[in-house]
Amino acid sequence: MTTDSGRLIRSGAGSGWYLLRGLGTGLLSLLGAPLLARPTAARSWADRHRHQAGRLLGRPITGLVGTRRALLWLPIQAVAGLGLGLLALLVVGNAVTAVIVIGFWWLFTPSAPPHLFMEVPVTGPATALTLGPIQLLVLILVALFGFPPLARLHARCCLAVLTPSAVERLADRVTVLTASRADVLDAHGAELRRIERDLHDGTQAQLVAIAVRLGIAEEAHEQGNHQLVGQMLGQAHAGTEAAMTGLRSVLRSVYPPILADRGLVGALTAVTADCAVPGRLEIGALGRVPATVEAAVYFSVAEALTNVARHSRATAAAVRIGIEAGRLVATVTDDGAGGAQARSGSGLNGIRDRIGALDGTLTVTSPAGGPSTIRVELPCEW
Amino acid sequence: MRVVIAEDNVLLAGGLKLLLANAGFEVAACAGDAPGFLDAVEAHRPDVTIVDVRLPPGFRDEGIRAALEARRRRPELPILVLSQYVEHQYAAELLSAGGGIGYLLKDRVGRVSEFTDALRRVAGGGTAMDPEVVAQLLTRRGGDPINSLTPREREVMALVAEGMDNQAIAERLFVSDNAVHKHIGSIFAKLGLAASDSGHRRVLAVLMYLNGRG
Repeated sequence: MTTDSGRLIRSGAGSGWYLLRGLGTGLLSLLGAPLLARPTAARSWADRHRHQAGRLLGRPITGLVGTRRALLWLPIQAVAGLGLGLLALLVVGNAVTAVIVIGFWWLFTPSAPPHLFMEVPVTGPATALTLGPIQLLVLILVALFGFPPLARLHARCCLAVLTPSAVERLADRVTVLTASRADVLDAHGAELRRIERDLHDGTQAQLVAIAVRLGIAEEAHEQGNHQLVGQMLGQAHAGTEAAMTGLRSVLRSVYPPILADRGLVGALTAVTADCAVPGRLEIGALGRVPATVEAAVYFSVAEALTNVARHSRATAAAVRIGIEAGRLVATVTDDGAGGAQARSGSGLNGIRDRIGALDGTLTVTSPAGGPSTIRVELPCEW
Repeated sequence: MRVVIAEDNVLLAGGLKLLLANAGFEVAACAGDAPGFLDAVEAHRPDVTIVDVRLPPGFRDEGIRAALEARRRRPELPILVLSQYVEHQYAAELLSAGGGIGYLLKDRVGRVSEFTDALRRVAGGGTAMDPEVVAQLLTRRGGDPINSLTPREREVMALVAEGMDNQAIAERLFVSDNAVHKHIGSIFAKLGLAASDSGHRRVLAVLMYLNGRG
């Protein structure tokens, strides 16, 4: 019984406060229209109301308000907020009047008596002490049983106006995806150009240099110049080794061979085991992961572990990877000295670009004194 | 013979310098970009120049621009252009600039004797077109009268397009100078071109024929 009445009182008070607030916001919507009519201002104003309405109704609010709906809300709130607010004010005001009359009826002069129930003059203690409590009681009942439905009505109206329709949500998603796709294509283009440059300037040039030396060796052989032959062959041989090394690093930057051979789990196992700092690897259920995402995660973890081994003076590291809410999440934690922001350098920044292009995030948490965590999140629901 | 090179890739420049030194050329300067190249040509007055199509900062066609500019300042300056792949447009632009022009693929540098032959030809005011360029031009044309040429005549035509003179063609094909002369007459007749033995003009005629008309 007490919890029920407690809840009743709280609901009434909360709704009353909600409606009274509407008075203020309604007024603002009306008078402040020129200021609020700007898209960003209107949207944040409407968003505030949306969250308030959501809290009243107990509904979670997600997403953003569209500009048109936000602008539509301004006149609606001016009318509805003011209207309901005034009503609430009337109820509360009269309740306060009743209390004052009950307590202080003797302060008023007979020529200007206070009024209860709008019209009944209070001239003596009799009227004050009978009508007063009655008015108070009636108004309290109105508040407890009338305010909540009114507030909920307003809140539902608010959400009806401000919640984006399914079509609008789809249109929003298309915009987001188009931008994201453009980013991905740009990143892809940049990658392709980088590979072409590396192969052209590196491998191809090395092959031409080798061919030159072999050609000279051929001529030298015909002329019997054995010393030159030997010299040229030696340089050509060294050149082939340099070419192979260069090619290996280009290939590795395209798609690490170990990833192709052993898959993501195998590659991560290998890179964790290779780390100078002993590491633990925990693997959650992964499902199908696109190759680009695999490569990005692999590079991130490898770079993070390299930093751990090189800079952190840690004694142990932990690598965790799994799927959380449609995103592939990988974390590398170490118990080292921290302060990674200063020491992460260009390695992690390059990885950050790669991750960003795939719509993912890379966060480094590294307070001085440690422990440090590097967290990579990538959408994985293509 | 003095050579000025415009090449920014260290490996390639090194290979060129080695090759040229071995063949008896003197490398007067090696520039890494177009302005440096033009300055070096001014300063050293070389007998022949070698220019990479792609130079910093844009790596697109700075080399071609530099070559044409150098030609503007000193007409008849022999220029051998090295390119990554066959770009017909550049070949045509260069040809219109007159004799003493060569257009080779970078890979051709590896064929030491062919490269030095081409370089000497260019230095002497002749033409050196990469066989790959010529082959592509030949295959691009589907219709007659190219098809009316005998296989031997096609070979000769290709070598003419590369810029070789009759004697060089004769050596390459192991036939007599006379035979070459006859073939060329036949080719030009079949294609309806004015017969001409003078080096650059006939190369131009053949290449323009392959590249454009008819």
